[in-house]
Amino acid sequence: MKKRSNDFLLGAVILGAIVLIVAVSMFLRESDLGAKKRSLSARFRDVGQVQVGNSVVIRGVKAGKVEAIELDATGWVHVRFALDDAVTMPRDPVVLLGASSLFGEWQATITDRQSVPNNREVATMLANAAGAKDGALAGAVLPDVAQLTTVAGGIAGDVASVAQRFQVAFNDSAARELRSSIRSVSQLSSDLARTVRVQSKNLDTIGVDVRAGAADLSRAADKFLRSVARLDTATSSGEVQRIVRESERAAVQLREASERLNAITQSLQKTEGHLRGVMGRADSVLMKVDKGEGTLGLLVNDPRLYRNADSLLVELRALLADVKKQPKRYFGIRIF
Amino acid sequence: MIELVGRSAREALEGLGSAGRITIDAVRALRDVRTWGPLATDQMRKLGVGSIPIGVLIASFMGIVLALLASYSFTNSVPRYLVGTLVQKTVMMELAPVLTGLALAGRVGASIAAEIGTMRVTEQVDALETLAYDPIAYLVVPRMLAGLIMFPVVVGVAMMVGLIAGWWASMGLLDMSSAQFIKGARLFFDSFDINYGLVKAASFGVAVTAVGCACGLETRGGSEGVGAAATKAVVTSAVLILVLDAFWAVVWLLGRAT
Repeated sequence: MKKRSNDFLLGAVILGAIVLIVAVSMFLRESDLGAKKRSLSARFRDVGQVQVGNSVVIRGVKAGKVEAIELDATGWVHVRFALDDAVTMPRDPVVLLGASSLFGEWQATITDRQSVPNNREVATMLANAAGAKDGALAGAVLPDVAQLTTVAGGIAGDVASVAQRFQVAFNDSAARELRSSIRSVSQLSSDLARTVRVQSKNLDTIGVDVRAGAADLSRAADKFLRSVARLDTATSSGEVQRIVRESERAAVQLREASERLNAITQSLQKTEGHLRGVMGRADSVLMKVDKGEGTLGLLVNDPRLYRNADSLLVELRALLADVKKQPKRYFGIRIF
Repeated sequence: MIELVGRSAREALEGLGSAGRITIDAVRALRDVRTWGPLATDQMRKLGVGSIPIGVLIASFMGIVLALLASYSFTNSVPRYLVGTLVQKTVMMELAPVLTGLALAGRVGASIAAEIGTMRVTEQVDALETLAYDPIAYLVVPRMLAGLIMFPVVVGVAMMVGLIAGWWASMGLLDMSSAQFIKGARLFFDSFDINYGLVKAASFGVAVTAVGCACGLETRGGSEGVGAAATKAVVTSAVLILVLDAFWAVVWLLGRAT
């Protein structure tokens, strides 16, 4: 009897412990026995630190979990999600993987394509992952906090480097030079102020002179008006009419002279045109001569012709001398 | 002084060697089911079921203290729900197996060493041999099987109780909601956590019972020798539990981490 009670107690404890462990394990794993699940897959080039069991979120509400992560031969990573059957999907769904907190938790977010964050890399990843033959959704990995902190760390390093360089550049001597420059600028500004003060006095003097000049001009204008009045008086005696008539005659003569000068100018223009043509042709001939074209060119440029002509003259002179000396040798006059 | 250190080292190594030899003999004696079979359930009840209260007590305080310690350690920048994560991981993977194992080393190891040591000094073991009973199959195998099976049971119950105690402490003593604690506990939970703790507990059970049996069978002298054997069994078992704990961490956790 005691043996049987021992066995019963032992069996109850062992079974109870097993049931307790399994129940707590299922509770912690969020196992949902018997619940209808919908399967959905997406493909990614990289899944970051997502693991099986991570949450799937739609509009911030948990809607399932990551069921499987598989590599395929074409370089894509296929992630399968188990979603609650009652969940309504967005119109044009894409899947974004990202850290859900600073402590290493990752989650998959199913969202509308229009709601994807404005990020060029994410957009590229989604565009590349779209159009899977098996109907898998396009997926992308959002920048990890670690990546962001790495970039921030790099920026901080650059800033530190710049600060260090500034510290190196701004040493004691630089500070002394800067102090000296500031003193120089201060002295320069005081000199400038003094110059301005002096020049302002000169300007005052000039202003006084200008006012005096203006008064003189006013007086000269008055005198000119009086002279004009006297001229009006002089025209009444007929001297001006005579001057005008003589001026008209002189103008006629001047016009005739101008016409003759115009004709001469035209003649000169024609002559200049002819001369330009002659010069052009002469230039052309001289160019040909210079290039050695034509007889004259050959004569000018070919030394052999000169030498031949020279030797011909020498021989001709010798022939003439010989003819003078022995004419009978060349001319035989016979009457019969 | 030097002689004392040398003797202690030799005795510790002898104890380990005896435990290893007895373990091998016990594996061989497993064939003698008719001898150890009727005794196994009795030993399981004594060693396992009888140890559950002490395991539950230890786990309860362990869970409460862990939750308070985590809450004290985490500053404002750390979310409160990580209290659940810390309690779940620490209780399941480390504290429940090790603290329960140490407690059972004292209770079970000393009990086995004293019981078998008394049998040895009163020549009951010799009488078993005279009656053609294999002392290993009769005394050691049932106890080691009980340790192998019941230690994980006790530790499993301690795990769950520790987690529940931490949950209760978070809600009752800390300004945390149930949802926060559950979120943290679920956050990094993996079935491996339970498997790791239970496998460690099984190895502790084998080690404690084997050391207890070895110390008991090697008892010499009268009641003084029995006391010495019990003390030696407890000390050696406790040290062995810590060594095995480090061994599993290096072999299993290090492999998973890399």
